[in-house]
Amino acid sequence: MSTPHTTLSAERLAKSFSGPPLFSGLDLRLDRGLLAVAGKNGSGKTTLLKILAGLLRPSAGRVLVERDGRPLAGEARRLAVGFAGPDLSLYAELTALENLRFFRAAAGSPAEDAELRRRLEETGLAGEAVARRVEEFSTGMRQRLRLAFAGLFDPPVLVLDEPMSGLDTEGREMVQRFVAQARTRGPVVLASNDERDFVQPEHRIELSADASRRTET
Amino acid sequence: MSAARVANAVRAVFQKDVSQELRRRVAIVAVFFFAVTALALVSYAIGPFGLRAEDRPALQSALLWIVLFFAAATGLPRAFVREEETGTALALRKTVPANVVLAGKTLYNALLFVAVAAVTIPGFAILLEWRVASPLALAATVLLGGVGLAVVSTFLSAVVSAAGQRNVLFVLIAFPLLLPLLLVSIAATLEATRGGMPWTGLRVLVAYDGAAACAAYLLIEAVWEE
Repeated sequence: MSTPHTTLSAERLAKSFSGPPLFSGLDLRLDRGLLAVAGKNGSGKTTLLKILAGLLRPSAGRVLVERDGRPLAGEARRLAVGFAGPDLSLYAELTALENLRFFRAAAGSPAEDAELRRRLEETGLAGEAVARRVEEFSTGMRQRLRLAFAGLFDPPVLVLDEPMSGLDTEGREMVQRFVAQARTRGPVVLASNDERDFVQPEHRIELSADASRRTET
Repeated sequence: MSAARVANAVRAVFQKDVSQELRRRVAIVAVFFFAVTALALVSYAIGPFGLRAEDRPALQSALLWIVLFFAAATGLPRAFVREEETGTALALRKTVPANVVLAGKTLYNALLFVAVAAVTIPGFAILLEWRVASPLALAATVLLGGVGLAVVSTFLSAVVSAAGQRNVLFVLIAFPLLLPLLLVSIAATLEATRGGMPWTGLRVLVAYDGAAACAAYLLIEAVWEE
């Protein structure tokens, strides 16, 4: 049986809050590979990523996640896109393992602890770190846990906002391996202020605080 | 999701909220501190002999629900607000269906209310020499009233969670919605105190709880997922 083919597309996407639009008329279609989203602070990178992840409604346009040409909805749509970003926190009172166990169980897809430990180990959280409460974690460890969360349901689409932020060299290499693996399976959208985070992206969007100056390649 | 998977998912949300609270103890301490303080104030200010015998049942029934309501109001609205304040709402929205979150949090709030009632009611009975002729009727009233409070408070917590001035907004929205529930609960408690079975009041409470649960279930997705 062949692996299902998942695409992420956006049609005439626009978003504005109270002022002028952050972006408008944005189209994209991704099946595999890396989309780099660049732009200065306040240009709308996080907003765009949240819209693509289904966490924010666009002011106009729509986002589609399709599997073998059929659009996904509801639970399938929600779990098909993995997300990690700076404003996403996990439960400080719970351990790393308990957090992952909770999200799998609450999403109706419980997992064995061995599998969850393996996922944490892949992001560099092993040994006693697994059993420590998140409130005791350093910034870098929290970032690693966010990545484990993003990949928790093996989503074919990954949306990562500043995934290297707060990480040491080893952590940055881990994210690059994580992204390299994911982009062979499906689309990966990565936003960053640091050009070093984009390794040979297949697509690129440069957002500008002035919505009319967006560039796409 | 199948019914069994939904039940397990709801249980996971409920257990998570319980473990968080047992480790943090913010809501439990605040709620119980409020309940004990209110009880102490009422007993010192009024006491068992500060009321005329014929006025006691009515005033004690009202006072009991005032103490229960305000003690519960210290903790119940935190359900969704806490998720927004700690930044965990995003992870929850990304993975868990809104109605599963609502059901799990409502169960947790109902448990919190029952725990508050279990501490408050015996204390109230001792300090104010409150005699209840029909404890079974009182238990049914408190349980049904508590479920209604938990359902409405949990749903409203989701409504106000993303807003500024959450506390004020919660009180403004909650007051008209909870007023009928409290009035019926007080009337049913009075009847239980006098030894009768408040069938009409209990039926109204069942209807209120059912209607509130249906409305919350239908609206939660629109409220929570944006």
